[in-house]
Amino acid sequence: MKEIFADFYNRIVEFFSKTEEKDKTKDVARNRLKLVLMQDRTNLNPRLLERLRGEMIDLLSKYVVMDKELLELNFTPEDDQLALMLSIPVIRAKDEEEIEAALKAEDEEKERLAKLAEEAEEDDEEDDDDESDDLEEDIETDNEEDTSEVSDSEEETDETSSEMSENSEIPPPKKKKKKHKKKKYQQSENTDNEEKKENLEEKDNIENKIENTEQTETADKQLTEEIKQEE
Amino acid sequence: MTGRVLVITSGKGGVGKTTTTANIGTALAKAGNKVVLIDTDLGLRNLDLLLGLENRIVYTIVDVVEERCKLKQALVKDKKNPNLCLLAAAQTRDKTAITGEQLKSICEELKEDNDFIIIDCPAGIEQGFENATAGASEAIVVATPEMSAVRDADRIIGLLEAKEHIEKYHLLLNRVRPNLIKTNDMMSVEDVVEILSCKLIGIIPEDTGIITSTNKGEPIVNDEKSLAGQAYHNVAKRIMGEDVEFLNIDEPQDFISKVKAFFLKLFKKEA
Repeated sequence: MKEIFADFYNRIVEFFSKTEEKDKTKDVARNRLKLVLMQDRTNLNPRLLERLRGEMIDLLSKYVVMDKELLELNFTPEDDQLALMLSIPVIRAKDEEEIEAALKAEDEEKERLAKLAEEAEEDDEEDDDDESDDLEEDIETDNEEDTSEVSDSEEETDETSSEMSENSEIPPPKKKKKKHKKKKYQQSENTDNEEKKENLEEKDNIENKIENTEQTETADKQLTEEIKQEE
Repeated sequence: MTGRVLVITSGKGGVGKTTTTANIGTALAKAGNKVVLIDTDLGLRNLDLLLGLENRIVYTIVDVVEERCKLKQALVKDKKNPNLCLLAAAQTRDKTAITGEQLKSICEELKEDNDFIIIDCPAGIEQGFENATAGASEAIVVATPEMSAVRDADRIIGLLEAKEHIEKYHLLLNRVRPNLIKTNDMMSVEDVVEILSCKLIGIIPEDTGIITSTNKGEPIVNDEKSLAGQAYHNVAKRIMGEDVEFLNIDEPQDFISKVKAFFLKLFKKEA
């Protein structure tokens, strides 16, 4: 008898408290707000964060085998502070040989890029119209000054690469420029992300320039063709 | 006499900056202070409407800046309280008509024979905000317990912190609806305070009386029975340095929720 009564009583309570158990929208709002404020308060926008994530993967994959898809990089609150949390799902650590091989491959790749850049510069100076199979080179030869800068900034994401290129044969005026660029990179490495951002933006601008010059070139070609037709 | 200069700001529009300015100003004047309210929302003035002074404005702040009149001539006295004055914004000009420096010198002049100068800041973080905050040394950030308002308030707090002349700032949480908070459908006061980590100076409940008081052109602090009016009076007291407890803003419950509360209470006892 007592049990029946208790059951009945519980049902009534359940009925009346039902409204309270629906989705707590305030918690949703609070959590969303906390997240968005964290993003607002840092200067790192999602684009830069994604880039940072990519660079982290490149760096870490030299030493460990991991699930790249599941690698997480985000800001989380830690007491009163903001923490940059990197969660790396490690499948296994690489052994020494593998790491050595990866590092060697990386060095070789840098060397190759440096050489490519040099060749491109030489091409520029000779004003040669040589067309190569390599896509990067192709763009570089097409668009004089700006492009060689792009290849510079690309390779200078690493110090060793520029050092290497300095060791090998480089035309003197270009060498100056490289040194200057390298300095700039070192600065940005030490200071805040704003400068880094600037550098990135600078690079973007250069890339945009390339696109623009390409466009104008094609437009010029079209124009000359039209003129010919009229004649 | 050196008065204090407060700016009422929020970032987001429609959270109750102008209502807050009118009510805090009136409450401070009622408590015996000499108060000047400055509307800096050039082109979109509304403080005159809330005070019911729209028909008495002859000169505006732009007239003062452009030296068409003296500062004292432009001050419009309140209908009820001679301690309260309004320096209205120009309705036909935009935010570029005055500069922060000009507003600052107006505040300096008004400081000499007033206790409080309260500046109603326009929404946004552009020139209007810069002008309005230029002369102030204290700020009240108005927000509602909504995501967009809190986010904008956070931005404003960041900007205020960067200004050296702003010595202190407080949060005023407006349009709080206790019933929604109870059902967990609105962020609570504690939530917002925690997120913004800013000192609280007032909690104003949502009150339909605000609409009717605006209709009449009379700030709600003149209505002794109104809960929002009482809350604004408390804010004024806190500004004057009194230690006042926060008002219990729980709305009277309807029948169903009373029954529900009764059963829940019983259940808790049993458990």
